[in-house]
Amino acid sequence: MYYYIMEPPSTRAVRQTYQKLRDLLTNLGIAGEMMAASPARTPEELAMMGLERGYSTIVAVGGDAFVNYIAQTIIGQAVLGIIPIGEAQQSAELIGTNNMKTAAEFLKFRRLSTFNTTTADPDSLIFLDAVVEPPKLAKVSFVIDGKLRGYAYFNKMTVTRNLEIKIESQHLVEPKKILGLFSTGGTVVKSLSQFHGRNVRLTTEPDLALLVDGRPVAKTPLQLRLNPNSLKVITKRGSIL
Amino acid sequence: METNGPGTTVGVNVALSGTLKDQNDISVFGMVEGEVISEKSVTIGQTAQVKGPVKGELVTIAGVVRGAISASEKLELLETGKVFGSISTKNLVIHSGGIFVGKCEMPTGEETVEEPEPDSEIESGDTPTEETLIPDEE
Repeated sequence: MYYYIMEPPSTRAVRQTYQKLRDLLTNLGIAGEMMAASPARTPEELAMMGLERGYSTIVAVGGDAFVNYIAQTIIGQAVLGIIPIGEAQQSAELIGTNNMKTAAEFLKFRRLSTFNTTTADPDSLIFLDAVVEPPKLAKVSFVIDGKLRGYAYFNKMTVTRNLEIKIESQHLVEPKKILGLFSTGGTVVKSLSQFHGRNVRLTTEPDLALLVDGRPVAKTPLQLRLNPNSLKVITKRGSIL
Repeated sequence: METNGPGTTVGVNVALSGTLKDQNDISVFGMVEGEVISEKSVTIGQTAQVKGPVKGELVTIAGVVRGAISASEKLELLETGKVFGSISTKNLVIHSGGIFVGKCEMPTGEETVEEPEPDSEIESGDTPTEETLIPDEE
């Protein structure tokens, strides 16, 4: 039997969706224990309760940030099921559907895929892409696997569960003035970098928050570590991704 | 099975030092001081400056490299490319405008044929005549 944890409903429409989901899961014969997170009971606390009660599959019902919180708590202890609702684009891509009914059917067929995750020390998990977006161009210094050091300026930095670091920047180079009067017009310099490793140290100036779907999961400086094949998830097709 | 990553790209505003090694493709548009090693292709873009050895299967240079380059399959130096260092490759293409200052080694797989030793040493005073240098006509 599955243990479902639902994100606190933000609107009446979402509340109604949850009611439909209950009916759907009952009809599929996979209705289990359903818990709704709230300010009094965080998703992490509910996930811990599910583990203590011996559930081997915990289903996160909600958006990307919510799914990431649940994954962080149950990694290595239970299989993760996902029913994407709301802002859940990454979760939907990961399991292979953004449709609630189809996602529920995937749960019934229970095909497992194994995913890498990344730990941001001390205890934050990156299962879905996490981003750092400073308000203006910022500097990041990094050390990859202890043998490659570097720095870059960025507007957006993404850290994936495979410990890939994508650094994007776009800035205007000041125009040159001719005879102190006429400018030649500035040029926009775009830069995209991509690295990957197993252990990465990231430091930004200034310190910045790492966000999953707009919610903070960690803050720089970050020590990131790859956890290969560490999380089992119910998806459309069983595989190791 | 986890892949070995999607490759590495060093953007134009990135500076690196150390060993940049990847099993997949590497593209450099920024500055690298150290080794650049790939089991596949290495592309040094027009804005790139690399100070150190570059090793790959297929190496394309449009920027500046100061160091030895080894390409197991092919090395292409584009018109904007500058190489100051030795090159080792089976297949070399240098486009018009490309600058290469250094030594080039091209392993062909053929054994080097050494000059055969003469049967008998020519004693001093014995100057070979014109007849001895012309092969016998059959």
